[in-house]
Amino acid sequence: MDAIHHSSEPSATLSPTHNMLPVLADRKRVNGPLGGTSAPIYSKYLAKDPKELPERPTRSRPNNVLRKMFLKTGVTPSASGSAYLELAAPINSKSVAPGLASLSPSGLKLTCTVHGPRPLPRTAQFSPHIILTTHVKYAPFATRKRRGYLKDSNERDLGVHLEAALRGVIIGDRWPKSGVEVIITILEGEEDQWWGDDISRGNTSATGWGMMSVLSGCITVASAAIADAGIDCVDVVAGGVAAVVKEAGIPNLVLDPVPSEHKDIIAACIVAYLPSRDEITDLWVKGEIGHQNQAEDRPQTSTYEELTDNAVQAALGAHRVLISALKETADVKLGRT
Amino acid sequence: MAPQSLQQILLSPAELSYLHTSLSSNPPIRPDGRTATQFRPLIAESDILPGTNGSARICFADGTEAVVGVKAEVERSSGISRDVDGEGEGEEGVKKGRNEWVEISVDIPGERDDDSNPIFLAAVLSEALLADGEFVERLWINRHFHWRLYLDVLLLSPPLSYPLPLLSLTTHLALLTTRLPKLLSEKDEDPLFSDDWDASEPLYHPPHTSHPPITLLVMAVQETIIFDPSKEELAVADAVLAVSLSESPTSNSSSQDTEMEMDVEGGKKRNLRLLAVRTIDPPSRLTHKGLANKVNTATGGTAQKNLEDGGGDGEEGVWCPPRGGAKRGLIKEMIGRVLERGGVGEEVLDGLCGAEL
Repeated sequence: MDAIHHSSEPSATLSPTHNMLPVLADRKRVNGPLGGTSAPIYSKYLAKDPKELPERPTRSRPNNVLRKMFLKTGVTPSASGSAYLELAAPINSKSVAPGLASLSPSGLKLTCTVHGPRPLPRTAQFSPHIILTTHVKYAPFATRKRRGYLKDSNERDLGVHLEAALRGVIIGDRWPKSGVEVIITILEGEEDQWWGDDISRGNTSATGWGMMSVLSGCITVASAAIADAGIDCVDVVAGGVAAVVKEAGIPNLVLDPVPSEHKDIIAACIVAYLPSRDEITDLWVKGEIGHQNQAEDRPQTSTYEELTDNAVQAALGAHRVLISALKETADVKLGRT
Repeated sequence: MAPQSLQQILLSPAELSYLHTSLSSNPPIRPDGRTATQFRPLIAESDILPGTNGSARICFADGTEAVVGVKAEVERSSGISRDVDGEGEGEEGVKKGRNEWVEISVDIPGERDDDSNPIFLAAVLSEALLADGEFVERLWINRHFHWRLYLDVLLLSPPLSYPLPLLSLTTHLALLTTRLPKLLSEKDEDPLFSDDWDASEPLYHPPHTSHPPITLLVMAVQETIIFDPSKEELAVADAVLAVSLSESPTSNSSSQDTEMEMDVEGGKKRNLRLLAVRTIDPPSRLTHKGLANKVNTATGGTAQKNLEDGGGDGEEGVWCPPRGGAKRGLIKEMIGRVLERGGVGEEVLDGLCGAEL
């Protein structure tokens, strides 16, 4: 154990990010290298001739069209409810990438299991309602840069958002003294930026735009899994994302943005929306957002109203998929097919 | 499974219902007699820690107190791209800053630093700070070096109310007083700094740069919108939002000399920017439900047969934790109240200007 520890120390000092603490705390596993392993970069893709540079994928969908979504419930037999969600990876027709997996843009793949409702341990305090715990975890291989086994702050942040989105939906007081756990594993995560920006175009700050799509997927898939587990809800909640992107200097509103397809994302918004009640349980907006009272001399970007309304439209799209997936499962269960 | 959600709200369903009714009346009657937009009085001081680049302390009237220290370090920029992009440097609008250069840690007594609450608070604070990407640009020194900024936020008292506004205001003041040593070297030389602290340059220099962001807590009880809620008020909230905003630099059309007088007049138009909005899970969802007399066997009623018929839900004076989310219109209204001309956002910024320096 000691030997492993010592050998890992030099790499710890080399790592550019200073978060060696979580890895050192994880003593139960033999961990991978600390700095993370990234996919190999071949020098021929670093070519200086702009024609030879790999091209950024471009959005081929119209601005108001969502990516294709695959959603299926009941995929994990041992859990009381489960669901799997996949968003299609964007197809890049004019890609020069020679079919290397590491160069293709990634889609989004999430799997969610719900355990419970089950009784709380005897030692726990009395609770008049169900106790909801959410765990969101990236699989170590989910992103270009390897994620450790311990949850980092982004994952915890996603967990808090998901909890806020779900707690308003579940009718908690029907299960006093019980708990339910929602566990989401991200098998393939949305990228925060195009990989080419990472290696050849110098610095751009990755501002975590990918997290927003991931969260919206998490909300939809968790909602499906909760419905599959038969937990009473006021409505099925669906997540939707909208963003303002700058294309040739003109701000443009798009639904369901793929961060790798846009060079400049100015603002983004994600909502967890309850269609039948017209309510929002979770709202997260960030970026450079306009509002009505701003001074006239500033460039007008979309206001947060427009952003939220568009995110709600995206959520309605996800809701339709969600409902049909639940109907499909119900039909199978009732033997109607 | 840690029952972290079981924070103690020491109010009975009857008390909650009373509070809910009085807050949802128009105008709202708050337990401490404030108006809907009034903030609790606070004591603020800045530049209190000599070992830091900037620091501040704020003490709220309810006894919660926070200290923020800002430390800056010079760090060698990593990256393999340096030699490749010779031509990209002259381009307009090329972003040089990276978000990793700012590190915010929040320490709350009684909570582990990997608990979700401090991480959520740190995420809200850093997202407001990094929202426009302009702040990190100022940390860039040259192509090989940059400043790394550590913001350590310490809550000194137990968290009596939701500490977000307190931490945010303290961070705002600390950033306003943050000074970085003056750079003597040129271009891509190894950085050399002036050792004269009086010559140091402020990180934020309003009105020439934007103000540091502030995050305000807004809550709604039915149609009533309330600012700076206390813990008891949060216990009956229907919706809670954290709204981050900052002020853009005044436009260059106004002459630079008269700006100081305009500040004093206070009649200045502030140019507010919305940076981020997050919903916060209202603790009211975790409260006990009240029982109407007719379904309470202790008061001569008959116990309800099954849970589905709701047993006195919606009866006036019986507390029922809120279900579902917030209406879209309500959220718009809450954000609008913060940003409107002469609204709370401007008022808070005016107040903080008074505390400065």
